[in-house]
Amino acid sequence: MTGTLTGLKIRSLRKNAGFTQSALAGRVGISASYLNLIEGNKRPAAGALIVRLAAELGVAPSELDGHAERRLIEMLEELATDPRIGGKTPKTRATEDLVGRHPEWTDIILKLYRAFRDQSHAVLALADRLNRDPFLGESVHRMLTSVTAISSAAEILGNVDDLGQADRERFLTIVAADSARLSQTARALLDFFDNSTMRVRSATSMEYVDAFIFQSDNYFPALEAIADKHRGDMPPDGHHDTGTDLANASPESIRFAAARGLAWEIAENHVNAITDAHRALPTEEARDLARAALIGYVAGAVLMPYDRFLKAAEDCRYDLDWLSRRFRVSHEQAAHRVATLRRPGATGVRFAYMRSDASGYVTKRLPLPGLPLPRYGTACPMWPIYGAFQTPGITARCFGELPSGERFLFFARAVEKQPTQVGHPRKLLSIMLACPAAEAPRVAYGDGLDATGAMLPVGTVCRLCTRMACTHRQEAPLIA
Amino acid sequence: MRLSHILSEKPEGGTGLSSQRILIAEDEPNIVESLRFILERARFEVDVVANGAAALERLRRERFSALILDIMLPGMDGFDVLRAAREDRALASLPIIVLTAKGQASDRDAAMAGGASAYITKPFSNAEVVAQVRKLTGM
Repeated sequence: MTGTLTGLKIRSLRKNAGFTQSALAGRVGISASYLNLIEGNKRPAAGALIVRLAAELGVAPSELDGHAERRLIEMLEELATDPRIGGKTPKTRATEDLVGRHPEWTDIILKLYRAFRDQSHAVLALADRLNRDPFLGESVHRMLTSVTAISSAAEILGNVDDLGQADRERFLTIVAADSARLSQTARALLDFFDNSTMRVRSATSMEYVDAFIFQSDNYFPALEAIADKHRGDMPPDGHHDTGTDLANASPESIRFAAARGLAWEIAENHVNAITDAHRALPTEEARDLARAALIGYVAGAVLMPYDRFLKAAEDCRYDLDWLSRRFRVSHEQAAHRVATLRRPGATGVRFAYMRSDASGYVTKRLPLPGLPLPRYGTACPMWPIYGAFQTPGITARCFGELPSGERFLFFARAVEKQPTQVGHPRKLLSIMLACPAAEAPRVAYGDGLDATGAMLPVGTVCRLCTRMACTHRQEAPLIA
Repeated sequence: MRLSHILSEKPEGGTGLSSQRILIAEDEPNIVESLRFILERARFEVDVVANGAAALERLRRERFSALILDIMLPGMDGFDVLRAAREDRALASLPIIVLTAKGQASDRDAAMAGGASAYITKPFSNAEVVAQVRKLTGM
């Protein structure tokens, strides 16, 4: 799939740049016929050749590796299988063609889909609000009561021919009194809508932030530089201004909160500059969410300096317990930092990252090429992110093979962020990392697992999964 | 049908006098005023209570020809009264007209399934109420 897009993209960029096949081939040191094969997707292009082609075409090598397009294809496939749209699922080749040949239309289609989802979400939220809000229910009841009193009295006044003077006055009084009550209720209702802080959050803001983080490869060199420069400004332990919110927090959470405080001081302007300029963040709400995420990123970088953390991670083979002790951070903070080790030239193992609560609500995600993470609803029930809730504090792990044949090492642990109030259920969050199975020898969590015999047949989400016989299936697949 | 026509009609039996008593269970005094007025004009004797418990107590103690029952009553609501009445052998066949601001089909179904004899949605017409009471009391 990636190769197909690479060929199309090279051809389109070459034409835009005004090169003939032989001219470009000559510049990158291959024959025109070989370039023709690459553009026709009959030969792969990779490694140094991609770097040379990108340089000649004036784009970053990452633009030619097809990963960004693959993500677009996954998003289009998700759109095509949305039951509310319910169309025929286009063939993968057609989707690839659309993304490869018509990127502007792809962008428009995805924007439309986002807008559609936002509107559906808003309508549902408002309908739900109208149905359930006790003030609205009570107001409507009061209005109907007043209308009933007025219409009954008016019916008597208008239809009873021999109505005496006293009765006439009595029913006129009722009409006047209930009219006044009705206006009062209507005014209160109007005030309710005027003053209401009700705001329907965009369903897609998190998605914009996902796209922003994905496009930035979850690595922000400017923020790393600021963290390096100001690390010495961290107040020493025991001098953190914790406030009452952190009275019961763990020492790691208190340190992280202090690092976040420092991050706001040292990086707010830089963070704003990044979020304001990025075209993947078109709304204020999305920019707000992205700012909060980046401040967390800076805090992580302050506590876990890139070079030292990368070396430590490689040395201990990404053992999160060891890393969290070494850097005095929580399991979750270490796991998140591991997923940011993507500096070109000093890259760690590339991990997908996902965080879910026990109800399956996904609160953070960073996908990998070939491993899309669901934006809504739950992922494959076979993923250890869910199994980890059965044994909080203990890492659940497995090798899994997607229907596409791609294989990954998954490992997850459910952690408790805050002490639980007596009588309340424990608030557990499950943190999962996943890397391509080929990278597993670099990761301690693959140790002792049989990467061939114990390969679990997993999917991404049931709707997009073709494993018909899976006993964990929650809903029917929409693709054959 | 216009209210004036309903009120000018002579009840069946033709005497124009009735000893039928209707109990209204409704907590909105201005609605009660109109209901009482038109039912008395239609030659019924009318008693009023403002909550569900009082309605049941009166029904068990005295004899009524029909109950006009608001659903949204304070404390024991109309559905509770309906259930209790239908479980009471002496009241099992009492005509009960349910009045409510809830017009949704599910509420109507719930009231009818609970044993209501008729269901009228607010805002209602007085003519409709009188017609229903007459129909159910055979007057």
